Parts: sequence; C-alpha cells; structure tokens
Amino acid sequence: MNRTVLIVGFIIAAALLGVLFLGLGKNPAEIRTPLIGKPAPAFALREVGTGQTIDLAQFKGKPVIINFWATWCGPCWEEHPVLVANARTLQPNVQFLGVVFQDTEEKILGFLQQRGSSYPTVVDQAGKTAIAYGIGGVPETYFVDANGIIRAKYSGPMSSDILQENLRKAMTP
Amino acid sequence: MKTLALVLLLFATQDLKVPDAAQFVGAPKGTPVSGEQLFRETNRIGGLLRCPVCQGMAIADSPSEMAVNMKGQVRELLARGYTEEQILKYFELSYGQFVLLKPKFEGVTGMVWILPVAALAIGLVIVFVKLRKLEAPRTTNNQPPTTEDDPYVSRVRDLVSGGKS
Amino acid sequence: MIASLGRLLILGSLLAATAGSLLGFAAGRTRSVDGLKWARRFAYLYCALIMLATVVMVVALLRHDFSVSYVAHVGSRSVPTWVTVVSLWSSLEGSILFWGFVLGGYIAIATFLTRGRYPEYQPDAIGVWLGCAAFFSFLIAGPANPFHTIPNPPLDGPGPNPLLQNHLLMAVHPPFLYLGYVGMTIPFGFACAALLKGRLGHSVLKPLRESLMLPWIFQSIAIMLGGWWAYEVLGWGGYWAWDPVENASLLPWLTATAALHSIMVVERKGILKGWTVTLIQATFLLVILGTFMTRSGVFNSVHSFTQSAIGPTILAFLGFALLFSIALLAFRIDKLETEGRIEGAASREAMFLVNNLLFVLLTFTVLIGTVFPLIVEAVKGKQMSVGRPYFDSMVVPIGAVLLFVLGIGPALPWGRATGEQIRKSLLPPLIGAVVLAALGYVVGVRNPWTLVTLAFGGYAAQVTLKEMFVPMRQRMRRGEPAGLAFVDGQLRRGRRRFASYIVHASAVVAIIAIAVSSSMRQTTELHFAKGQTQQASGYDITLTGIKEVQEPHRSSIISTFVIARNGKPVATLEPNMNQYQMMREPIGSPDVYTTLGGDLYISLSNVDLLNQTASIAVFASPLVVWIWISVIAMGLGALFGLIPSRRAVVSESTETLPEAAAETA
Repeated sequence: MNRTVLIVGFIIAAALLGVLFLGLGKNPAEIRTPLIGKPAPAFALREVGTGQTIDLAQFKGKPVIINFWATWCGPCWEEHPVLVANARTLQPNVQFLGVVFQDTEEKILGFLQQRGSSYPTVVDQAGKTAIAYGIGGVPETYFVDANGIIRAKYSGPMSSDILQENLRKAMTP
Repeated sequence: MKTLALVLLLFATQDLKVPDAAQFVGAPKGTPVSGEQLFRETNRIGGLLRCPVCQGMAIADSPSEMAVNMKGQVRELLARGYTEEQILKYFELSYGQFVLLKPKFEGVTGMVWILPVAALAIGLVIVFVKLRKLEAPRTTNNQPPTTEDDPYVSRVRDLVSGGKS
Repeated sequence: MIASLGRLLILGSLLAATAGSLLGFAAGRTRSVDGLKWARRFAYLYCALIMLATVVMVVALLRHDFSVSYVAHVGSRSVPTWVTVVSLWSSLEGSILFWGFVLGGYIAIATFLTRGRYPEYQPDAIGVWLGCAAFFSFLIAGPANPFHTIPNPPLDGPGPNPLLQNHLLMAVHPPFLYLGYVGMTIPFGFACAALLKGRLGHSVLKPLRESLMLPWIFQSIAIMLGGWWAYEVLGWGGYWAWDPVENASLLPWLTATAALHSIMVVERKGILKGWTVTLIQATFLLVILGTFMTRSGVFNSVHSFTQSAIGPTILAFLGFALLFSIALLAFRIDKLETEGRIEGAASREAMFLVNNLLFVLLTFTVLIGTVFPLIVEAVKGKQMSVGRPYFDSMVVPIGAVLLFVLGIGPALPWGRATGEQIRKSLLPPLIGAVVLAALGYVVGVRNPWTLVTLAFGGYAAQVTLKEMFVPMRQRMRRGEPAGLAFVDGQLRRGRRRFASYIVHASAVVAIIAIAVSSSMRQTTELHFAKGQTQQASGYDITLTGIKEVQEPHRSSIISTFVIARNGKPVATLEPNMNQYQMMREPIGSPDVYTTLGGDLYISLSNVDLLNQTASIAVFASPLVVWIWISVIAMGLGALFGLIPSRRAVVSESTETLPEAAAETA
C-alpha cells in the first residue's frame, strides 16, 4: 500500500469536501457589510414632492432607520407597509428615512401617494449614496444609532419583528 | 406670503451633499487625469472592481445601472486626482473585500497568490525525484519482463489475433 | 399519464444500472463468463430505458403537455420549435435527464466495441460505468425528477430563460459539453478496472486512449463554443471571464490533456503508468466537481442553475467517488509495473513529465482560485473575491511556458540524445521565434507577455511544421513521388502522428490568437444621434435608425449601424435591447462584424427610441475568429487520428507472408 498516496489523497479529499459542504446553504450573492461599527456616511439629499433638503446630520441624537428601495423592486412593495406602520408608532423617537436611487421622481411620488407615506423619502444622486453605503441590491436597510454609528444592516424585505430586532441593536449603547 | 417665499428661498439655496470619497480616504494623493488617459484608467480600474449586483462581472464590463454608477464614480475620482490605491480603498471600505477582484496580498487572502508558487516548487521536486528514479538502472528487479507484461509481445499478439486478446 | 410513463422508464433504468453494476463487479472477481454476459445485457438495457425516457420527455415538450412538471417549468407555446427542443437541457431536471441520455449512449457503444475483448478489464469497467449510471438515474428518479404529474396543468408555460433563447449556440454548446464530460466516465471505468486488476497491460492502452480522446475532442469544442457564445451574447466584448462555471469546464479538460500525453509515454516506454491512471481518475472527479459547482448554487456565476436538493446529493457522490479512487490508488498504484526507463533529462519523455507538471499546476491554480473565497469564508468568515485579474496573472505565465514546452518537446528525440542532436533540434527554431515576435512588434504589439507568446509560438510553429512532414520527407528521400509519399506517409501509415501535429499546430494558433485578441483589443465609447457618423479603430460607423419590434415573448429596440472602411460600406450591424416579458431588466444583444483579421463588435449601452439616440461600446479585437477556427481544426485533427488504420488490413490479409511483409514495410 502506498502510504503517501493515501495520506495526500485524504487530505485533499477532506479539504475539498469540507469547504464545499460548508459552502452549501450559504447564499453567495449576499454581501456582508464592513460598515457595522463605523459612522454612517454623511449626506444631504432632496426630498421628493417638497424639494426640501434633508440632511442625515439633523437627526443626530436619535436612532435612524435608513431604508434603500426603488419602485421597480418587488420585495420593496411587500416591505413598504411594514415601514409605514412602524414609523407611525415609533416616530419621533426614532427617525425613518427612505432613499431611492435608479428611479424617477414621478414614479416615486405615484407610489407614495398610492401606498401611503409616514416619513421622508429622498432621492439619491447618481447612486453615490448607495455606493458609499455599499448597497448590493434593494431593499437594504441600515440601522444607525443616536451617535451616528451604523449598528446593523438587513438585506431583503423586513417583517415587523426583523425591523424591531435590528432596531434594538441600534438602541443599545 | 413673504415669509413663505423667504423660507422657500432659504431651502432652495441649501447645498445637496452626497457621501464622498473624502470621508473615507481623505484628500486626493495623485494628479488629476483627463482625456484618453482618463478613459483608459477608468476601464483599467473598473476591471479590478466587482459589480455587486451581477454574478462576478467587473464594473467595467457590466451594463447594469449599479455598475455604470460605480464606474462613473471611479471616473470622477480619477479626474479629481485620486490614486488607484485610494479608489480601491474607498470601495473596499463601503463594500468590503468582496468588491476587489484582485485578492489583496496580505494575511489569509494573500495565500491564494502563494499556494500556486508552492505547488510549483513541490511539483518540481516531484518531477526531479521521478526523473532520478526512472533514470536509475533497474538493479533491484533484474528479471526480464514476463511475456505477460512485455509490450512487444502484447503488440504482436494483438496484431495476430486482430485485437481479440 | 405520460409523466408516469417517463417515471417508470427512469426507475427501470435505475434497476438495470444497479443490477448490471453489481454483476459487473461480481464477474470481475469471479471471472464468470455468464456474469459478464448478463452485465453487458443490463448495460444495453440501461441505455434503452434511459433513451426512451428522454424521447418521452422530448415528445411531451413538443406537444406542450403541461401535465408534466418539467414541461410546465420550461415549456411555452410562444417560442420557436428549436427553443422547445433545446429546453430539454435548459433547466436543471431536464439537463440531468440529458446527462443520462448521453451516458446511456456512451455505455452502449463502449460495451459494444469491447465485445469479446479485454476480458480482464471489461467486467470491472462495466461495473464502474453502470455504477455512475445508477447514481444519475437515482438523481432523475428522486431529487431532480422532471416527470412529476401536475394535476391541473396550466394552459401555457413561461418558456426557458430568455438569455438561452437569444442565440443558436444554445442548441450546440450544451450537447457538446455533455458529450465531452459525460464521456469521461468511460476511461474512468477502464482506469479503475486496471487498478482493480493491478496491471495496466499494453492491450488496454488503446481503448483507454481512444475512450479518452473522443470526449476530449468534444470537451475542447464545447469550451470553445462556450467562449464564443459568451462573446456573441453577453455584450462585454470578451470571451472568457474566469467565471466559476467556466473554470469548472476547464479543469477536467486540463487533466484530460495531461492524461492523453502521459498515455503516450506509457505506450512508448511503459513508464508513468501510475501518473496516467491518476490523471484519468482526476478528470472524472473534476467532471463531477464541475457539475456540483454548476448546479449547487454554492458559486456565484452567470450560469447558475438555482440551488436545490441536488447539491448535497452530488457532493455525496463526489465524496464517494473521491474516496473510492484514492483507496484504489493507494492500494494498487504500486502494482502497476514500470517497464522502462528515462535516458536523460533532455529527452522527449522528460518533456512529457514537465508537460504533466504544468497542466497539473494549471489545474491546481484554477481550482484554488475558484474555491478560495469559500475557504476564506469557512476559515475566517470573511467575504472576498478572486476574479479575472488573478487568473490572468497566474495562467498567462504558465501558459507561456507550456507553449515553450510544446515547442521543445517534439523537437527532442525519444531516449538518449547527444549534445549534437540537441543542438540541431533546439537551435534552428529560434529563427521562427524571432520572426514571429518581430512581426508582432512591427504591427504594434507592445505587451511583453504577448511578445513572449509570439516568440514561443513562432518556435513551436517551426518545430511542428518540420516534424509534421517527416514521414513524407523520409519516403521522398527513398524515391517515392511527393503525392504518394504524402498519402502513404501522412494519411495511411503515419496517421496518428500526423493528427497529433495538426492538433499541436492548431493549439499554437489558438494560443497566439487568444494572446493577441485580448491584449490588442481597442475599446471606444460613442454617443450617436440618428444619421451621425463617427470613427473608431479605423472604421466609420453611422447610426442609420432605431426601430421597435414586437414579438409574443419579447419586445426589442433594434439600432442599425452601417460600418464603412476606406469609404466603402462593409457591414450593417444591429445591436439591440430585448425586453422579455418575464424579466425586469432588458437584455442587450451585441452584433459583430467578423473578418479574418479581426472583429468589430458593437454593444448597445443606452438607446432612446423617441429621440433616436444611442450610446454604444465598440470593441475592435484582432484575430478572434482564429480562436474558433483553430479549435475546430484541433478537434477535426484529433478525430482524424482516431480513424483506425492498419489493423483491418493485416487481419484480413490473405496474402502470403513475404507479400504481406513487403506491403507493411
């Protein structure tokens, strides 16, 4: 029996099979963010409808939930009522903010008028805010604490439970 | 009415601000690029950044809007004088190492560069050892090959029987 | 009804394969002639059943029978007929069924061609073949069942993925791929049988080599077709992105190529048996790994089929096959007798060793690069990417050295070579190296690796052209007229040798074409209003119109560009944007003007129907078409080498001995 072949073979087999096995069940398209624990990148963007400028800094002192979405995104439709309802109960102690990119103001206004709105929605410029926040798809939601530090990120449509669970992370000191 | 107009004027002149690379990597460290060189550099660096919404494509090659936006950002930063290192660092800080198509040569990540070189070294050793072994005269096994194994005999047998060995 | 019939046939095939496999292995141990006979019968039965099941599926697809789950999944009344046929392999379950179909064909043919021969190896080989067949039938019967019956069938279906309807190559690339990869099961069976018997005798080398060569030909063409398809369809102007699934298809090809070379050394010298067998087993295992990578959803790829229960099952089979192979090798590799020796490092045999090393190194590098993000995530929980920049940096140098060995290998003689011989063989081709590199420099090549590739390529080309016609020149020196010398020396007697030089020559052309087309590509971005003309890469491009075309399954915005060179129009290109009903983002379709000198490729990035404006990316790449041409030539050359020659002449000869001797001289 060739001992070398056996040992080398088993090492290769174990390593390869192990790595592939661990890879199963993970979604390779999901990107984890490096921004947890870092300050939320500053921005001041125009609100749809009113044309006002909303600056992220003006909310310092309370937790902020920043939700990136678009009208063409199916899961965003699912998620919207959850956000609206939670915003109604939680504001003004928690600030909700929607950021839309790759969309037209017309469509956004139409969407909000149809489906309701309880918090400001701003439009991104050339996707730059999305890039700074490392957005890989929509919807994605960032939970920022009272000091402006990102404490959690959730990719995908949220349920009330998920929203509140992540919010708790932003509320703990 | 006058108050409203004043208030509107106030808001209209307020600056819009988008997050900027300066927040992440500071001031530009290189010289601004323009024209043909800007185009080429944008494509080159675009080839090093991964489009987060596509399956593994570089932002230089992907037609998706996200990739186009990112490429635009690269172009703008180059025009302002940011270096390749700074630009890559900016994207790495917001997306993580995932976005770098060329693995960084540090720590665990650096292993991917070293392993093939190690494999080459090990392979060369194996080849030399094998060459030595095969070059050595067969002193240990001095018996002539049996007719069973003799390649010449099997070949003749094949020809004679038409392959029905 | 029809779904149940299909299901039944599949279960039958599973039983036939299992029974046949067990019988084969039993016959291998007991040397029972009857056992072998029955194993062979079950092999044919397996083939018949799985092929029938496939026919049932194709019929269901063509009849739009949406009561069959797979048809409901990919069928549609509004797609052309060829798309309906092709949707057999367009989605997961159907593609596994297609795998079974191809495997059945291969096993039947291999069983037929080995009838009455190789009694030592045949039973175990059949055991292995049918064992693999049983696994795939199990997949089709269970986790990847396309034959579920749908109680309330819908009236219509969604059709296959739109990207797969865009191009005719969808009808060609997957079949070639399957013919290439599934076919590797056959040499794997022979290799395992040789290990089980503890010997790799001379007689089994021929079926081993030929059963390796045929799938290799299909593999080579399949990979080329994949690149060609990506080039014509994806719109970024390139043909290879080191996407995980692309790499998955490349890995078994690399080890198969190494194995084909290694086998030649076994034939000639009776050495490197263990390496050859290991390479063949690695090829099959990499095929299974490849199918796992494509189907499991573990890798982020343009090709990914969706993740399903099938991933873990394939991984289990891979694990089993891997452990089986390692055990076989560990316990039996030392029994494979080394019959010869190497005379020196400057010999062709030694170069084959180097060839093996380089191909295995390439395989390792591509594999490690593809799998590395998974390793890092498992070990450190960090996400990272290994993309094109890595693979290009690693593969280009190794490829260049391989090209160099492709030159000096055939230049060196077998066995011991004197210093004089070495000098005479290795020095003259330097002329070719200098000429080609200089030529490249003159036409504008400045990239150092491309110049190196041209130099090595020129060297290899000179060696190949010289060696290719040695038999013919030998005959002419003996006084034969050129025509007869060519037919006799190259086509009749020296066929295998001539074929392998054709393959090498084609490979050199392919490598040069790849190097030049990628490093010399010019990219230009232009914006057009209707009627405007602009220049790019020596061509005048004019936007003549933008129109919309509505089809039942998609609406397209088609832009028309007229391409002119030196004032004369040479082509009309129509890149377009297709909006499919079932997809959110439109999919762009580029258009290419191909000449022997190079391609002009236009991809639409933005188009405005109302304002009649368009933004395009223009790619001008030289010599691209030579990649496709040379790989096809490579395949045809290898196929030519497979045509049997003298055997039939000798065994059927009724001439007396002296006459026969004179004939074969």
